[in-house]
Amino acid sequence: MIRIDHVFKSYDGGATNAVSDLTLEIQSGEIFGLLGPNGAGKSTLLNMLAGVLAPSSGTIELDGVNVATDPLAAKRNLCYVSDSPDHLLRLKGHEFLRFIADVYEVPDAVRGPRIAELAREYGMEGELDNQIQSYSHGMRQKMMIMGALLPDPAIWILDEPMTGLDPKASWLLKQSMRRHADAGKTVLFSTHVLDVAEKVVDRVGIIAHGELLFVGTVTEMRDHFRSNGSLEEMFLELTSENSPFAQDAAEKGGAGEKDAAAVKGGADATEAR
Amino acid sequence: MARTTAPQAFSWRQFKVMLRVIIRGEQHLDSTGMGFGDSDAADKRKGFWGSLGSGARKVAMGLLFLLLAAMFFMMGFMLGDLGVSPYTAFSLCVVCLVGLTVLTGLYQAVNILYFVRDLGYYLTLPVSATTVMWAKLAHFLGMSLLGDLIILPVGLGCLLANGAAPLTWVTMTIAFVLSAVAVNLALVIICVPIMRFSRLAHDKDLFSRAFGGLIVVLALAIGVGSQFALQGDGLASLASGSEQLLSGGVPAIVMGVLCPPSLLARPVVQGDALGALAGLLGMLACVAVYALILSAVARRWYFEGVQALQGAGGKRGRRVEGSELAQATRTRGAFAANLSRDWKTMVRVPVFFNQFVLSSLLMPLYFIVIFVVSGAVGVSQAADAGMDPAALLEMARSLAALLTFDSPALAWCAVGVLAFGLFLGFSSYSFTMGVSRDGEDFFFMRGLPMNWSAYLASKFVSPFLLSTVPMLLLIVVALVLLGVPAASGAYLVGVYLGATVSLSLLSLGLGALFPRLTWDNEAQLVKGGGATLMVFAGVLVGVVVMALPALVLLAGALWGVLAIPVALGLALAIFVAECAALVWWVLGPCARSLSRRER
Repeated sequence: MIRIDHVFKSYDGGATNAVSDLTLEIQSGEIFGLLGPNGAGKSTLLNMLAGVLAPSSGTIELDGVNVATDPLAAKRNLCYVSDSPDHLLRLKGHEFLRFIADVYEVPDAVRGPRIAELAREYGMEGELDNQIQSYSHGMRQKMMIMGALLPDPAIWILDEPMTGLDPKASWLLKQSMRRHADAGKTVLFSTHVLDVAEKVVDRVGIIAHGELLFVGTVTEMRDHFRSNGSLEEMFLELTSENSPFAQDAAEKGGAGEKDAAAVKGGADATEAR
Repeated sequence: MARTTAPQAFSWRQFKVMLRVIIRGEQHLDSTGMGFGDSDAADKRKGFWGSLGSGARKVAMGLLFLLLAAMFFMMGFMLGDLGVSPYTAFSLCVVCLVGLTVLTGLYQAVNILYFVRDLGYYLTLPVSATTVMWAKLAHFLGMSLLGDLIILPVGLGCLLANGAAPLTWVTMTIAFVLSAVAVNLALVIICVPIMRFSRLAHDKDLFSRAFGGLIVVLALAIGVGSQFALQGDGLASLASGSEQLLSGGVPAIVMGVLCPPSLLARPVVQGDALGALAGLLGMLACVAVYALILSAVARRWYFEGVQALQGAGGKRGRRVEGSELAQATRTRGAFAANLSRDWKTMVRVPVFFNQFVLSSLLMPLYFIVIFVVSGAVGVSQAADAGMDPAALLEMARSLAALLTFDSPALAWCAVGVLAFGLFLGFSSYSFTMGVSRDGEDFFFMRGLPMNWSAYLASKFVSPFLLSTVPMLLLIVVALVLLGVPAASGAYLVGVYLGATVSLSLLSLGLGALFPRLTWDNEAQLVKGGGATLMVFAGVLVGVVVMALPALVLLAGALWGVLAIPVALGLALAIFVAECAALVWWVLGPCARSLSRRER
């Protein structure tokens, strides 16, 4: 379970907030999709969950472990795929996976078969002896996902994980996410591909200007908008320049506060399930 | 398709646009290290501290440039004092210019003209190859001329010593600038077909490794050579030899091809006004001819070379599976995992390999060559004076036998070891750069459950094994050859280890507290102004850790305040205490600061 409690993040001493008073609870056994336009604060939020950034205030707990006070225990319980796959490029594929397995202390008996299985699933068997820098963007992304799935921790945090993946790898990842959640574990991922989110997520959160504008299921969102349109249309309406919610977020407590609270209020009811 | 058939004529308007973009900053796959170190800086910080840091770096680099220029000016003045003519001094300048440009300029030219991330984008623009190349070349010439000017003061110093007229100063400066432009143009004329047709040049790693290695070897060779050239009349002989290179035969032909203006320098530097004017016009004509040749060559091959680079692929590995895969991925501890990752990265990144591995391994050779050559010269001089070299060695061994714990000589030897350790401070930046070498990868690792103490410990081991241990072996061999008593020898080894370990730990810790993690390419870390200052800062760090033990040793050996055994024991004890405190500091507070570091 992921618990985010009144989290703020500012890069300039509080003049502006990349993430502003964000509260959210994601239950175990759930796939949660985080949506938002560019610069909305998605990556900042996921980086804070992964312990790469520290919140300016507020607390984050992963399965009851506070990320700020016990980062090592929290990180052993999560894997994180960042929005860029260009890491440790000079290592060969199997060297990268070995490094990850060593850091997560994956036992010998588990890591060998798991690496072979992941390599076969993602079609990377013939690439493991090549340096990651020689891979295409999609292959690098596959390698990062393989590294993240190798230790198989309880919480998966994935920032734009489908970017650059071929259809088969994308399908595989979605299947893995579903299996992971069905096993009572947690998946949180961000995406720009709304169709993917619509098909995979149990709940969705929409973030803009560092504030959570909506949290709930896609059906609840549809009910709220009284719309039969796609998630894409609702997302565009919610985050558009004319949206009262987005304006409220930008102005921090402006005229749209009441409406935004109504949306969040509706969403909060679903969090308790 | 459109590119190869597009008109390749030069456009002045497009040239200005391209030059402006290039100067504002394009992303290089490598760093040339030219300029004052700001052009490639990716981590420009905003605000007061950011501008203060950038300003301080520029001022420091400016001072360093002026210091070197003043040193070369004094060398030129000394040459003049020795009766060397201004033309001979100018010949030395030009030969040095051509030599350095051929060895390092090709690397810089290829990096600026070809290994640029934005080149792929330029290929999509309706801009002619000639225009792009000239815009990039103008940038390259501007930057390299700045560096080349450092050599000119040798000639100017000689003019001062000879009391030359002000006009001669002007003509010599213009002649030097034209020579520098010509040799850089010649270099690019050679470089364009090489990059078009050579497969070797299309492998960036191989190219960087080969040329970077050559530059490191050259730098060490200059270091060794300068030990001898700057003694006696070595410099005057060097200048005279340079003049002979330009006076005829095959060397003059080579110099004439690489730098045609150099053959017209005599009337410019020591002729009358008319001769000087004619010489300068001739030099200008040479430069113009080379510019025309380069335009023709570039029009034909520059973009073809760029296109060939875009399609160059890497080496492919073989399939690893089954038991081999299980063996390749077997379990290691946190320290071993970090050490292995760090070592592989260091060895596989050419610029890191050259700077941190190759140069460290060559350093002991540098000292061996100096010892051997100095020994050979000493033996030869002793033989000339009618002394038996074997008797000399025996005398040295009998003196070494006097190095006991109540002898001031042992304290002085320990001070010498500290001075040697301080000299090694120049290479301590391999520890300071330990964390910075990871760049953006560091933030990837921040998302992992990393043991940061093990991470920092691994950053200590590789450079220590590469730099300190080979020198330690050299010291032990020297101590054994000289017959120093075992206990005294062990003491000196202890002092050496205390000095180098504490220096390395402090450098590593400072590098962990103030890492430079945002860079475009690895070369930015080890080249340019910031890296140069880091090298000199290493000596200051050395002073910090060695000052107290050195004072204690001097208190015994020089001032007689402490008994010699007390001074010796206290100095070693201070080092032990320093090392213990620094180990705690590095593995504790420094590691914790890494676990909290953000972008």
